[in-house]
Amino acid sequence: MGAIDYLLDGFATALQWQNIIFAFVGVLIGTVVGVLPGIGPISGVALLIPVTASLTSGLPPEAAATSAIILLAGVYYGAMYGGSTTSILLNTPGESSSVVTVLDGYPMAKQGRAGVALSIAAIGSFFAGLVSLVGLVFLAEPLSEVALKLSPADEFSLMILGLCALSGLAGKSVTKALMMTVFGLLIATIGLDNVSGVARFTFDMPELYSGLEFLTIAVGVFALGEVFKTILERDINEGEIAKISRILPTKQDLKESAGPILRGSLVGFFKGIVPGSGATLASFLAYLLEKKISKTPEKFGKGAIAGVAAPESANNAASGGAMIPLLTLGIPGTGTTAVLMGALIMYNVQPGPLLFEDHPSIAWGLIASMFIGNVMLLILNMPLVKVFAKLIETPPKYLIPMIVAISVFGVYAVRVSVFDLVLLLLCGLVGYFLAKNDFPMAPLVLGLVLGPMIENNLRRALTTSNGDFSIFIQKPVSLVFLIIAVLWITVPLIMKMRGKKVIVNEE
Amino acid sequence: MSKTFDRFASLAFLVLGVAFVVGSQNISASAYGSNVGPNIFPMGLGSLQILLSLRLFYETFKYKQEGEKEKQKLDYKRFLIILVAALFYVLLLEEIGYVISTFLFLLVGFQTMQKGKWLNSVIISGAFSFGVYLLYVEVLDGTLPGLPTWLGL
Repeated sequence: MGAIDYLLDGFATALQWQNIIFAFVGVLIGTVVGVLPGIGPISGVALLIPVTASLTSGLPPEAAATSAIILLAGVYYGAMYGGSTTSILLNTPGESSSVVTVLDGYPMAKQGRAGVALSIAAIGSFFAGLVSLVGLVFLAEPLSEVALKLSPADEFSLMILGLCALSGLAGKSVTKALMMTVFGLLIATIGLDNVSGVARFTFDMPELYSGLEFLTIAVGVFALGEVFKTILERDINEGEIAKISRILPTKQDLKESAGPILRGSLVGFFKGIVPGSGATLASFLAYLLEKKISKTPEKFGKGAIAGVAAPESANNAASGGAMIPLLTLGIPGTGTTAVLMGALIMYNVQPGPLLFEDHPSIAWGLIASMFIGNVMLLILNMPLVKVFAKLIETPPKYLIPMIVAISVFGVYAVRVSVFDLVLLLLCGLVGYFLAKNDFPMAPLVLGLVLGPMIENNLRRALTTSNGDFSIFIQKPVSLVFLIIAVLWITVPLIMKMRGKKVIVNEE
Repeated sequence: MSKTFDRFASLAFLVLGVAFVVGSQNISASAYGSNVGPNIFPMGLGSLQILLSLRLFYETFKYKQEGEKEKQKLDYKRFLIILVAALFYVLLLEEIGYVISTFLFLLVGFQTMQKGKWLNSVIISGAFSFGVYLLYVEVLDGTLPGLPTWLGL
């Protein structure tokens, strides 16, 4: 069977009525999450894991996992659409991936072209979503076949590469990012060791035997961390919201933005595949590229439509591209995909090369649902954009305490333990103070998710080599991964030392 | 970058790294059929954490002197009220039940964020706590602590 046949099977899964509903709910909540300031895709996805867990509890395991991941992925790419709304209307990005959209989006809104900017953002996002999905369809099979041939040593080094890639670009200080990575890996070792069954760092506390729950930590550091930030820093915007008049772009607008959308999609897609770079960097690069090749670079910053089209396409393409390493290699390249991976693992589904063989309906169902979801998003974001714009006015008075309540409900529903609730608050506190001081949170979650797998592969490799650590540099593939990993950390460091500006990825 | 915070953080992570290294000494060193025991990974990571913390501690000495930057005023009062309320909320959740604890927490939360409009606050917190409880327990067959038995309802 070729990729197309698998994809058709995937559509059969994705078009089941409950999956259509899940996809719709996902993209709808994603758009809302994107529009609401103070809650980004990563905390949106984390918050919804427990909700989906209870919604899908009646379904058979495989169908439950499929539906859940369809919804959660919908939140992820849906947020990329919604993020542009506040950038354009309010001059404040809904999330970091829409930061550059502000530069030209808000001036456009001031000129009375807010509707056009929003619809070009939606069209660009839609096109980019399709581009990245087509790439996903054709790259998934071959990549996972290559990945299947990797030995434990190779896999270990590949995961190290994934961790280094994220740490090298996550935040201002590489040392801090690495510390958070190691911290994540360390707390992943708490609990029963899956190889030997020995209890580690449990101090005879029954709550610790199954390890610290990924969900609790993710919701704590992301959702509660953001809530605490909003409360403490009065991070509430009171700017005036621009009016939306005409929505449909003119022919001239479409002509001007066709090129930027195409280039933005490609830049975003390739940026997305590379672990660690993510949507924020992709949108920056796409914007810079457009400015560089434009015949009228002086228009940028004053309401050039290309300055909206390119970054918005790029961030959506990147979110699609980021699904590739997650699904085929089992290596999430960004914080949000790490949370998605944690969700899949909660359903006993291991992302990685075996996913396409063992659970084709999950993998291809998800891919097919992303096609459907993107169509839904286009429909949601073009005519209904005025409705979503109203959401910006949601008073934080009600929003903030409710996010706390939803976090508590979600964690309690899944864990049924007060211990986890206290841990949740603690993670929120630690998360806020660490993040405020430039300790990035995404590497922590990635370390937590990848920890058990890295350890397994490490020990399997060392067992075959009788405890000889040189196996990791004797195997050529593993050696190459490790060299790239080292370069990934050192090259930005050297560039910084030479006084060059390095764009970092913030989530 | 806050020099003080980073120094404290590096010390805290240093202690953490040491704790994991020491703790892993107590884990049996070998597993059946393998000479690579469950202690290797945490021990290695702990050591790495120690090195990184030392590195960060060293880096803090190179930070440029913090200028008289206008310090952002943080709203600690609101934050502490909500934090303490949240703590009571999670500790009392199983004692007084989901509906009551959630209702009280939301009410306190809303009023702390912004005083006034009591009626709205009561309606929204009531709708949220009852709605979530009914939806989750009655429709989705989940478990949440119900009303406390001593109410005699």
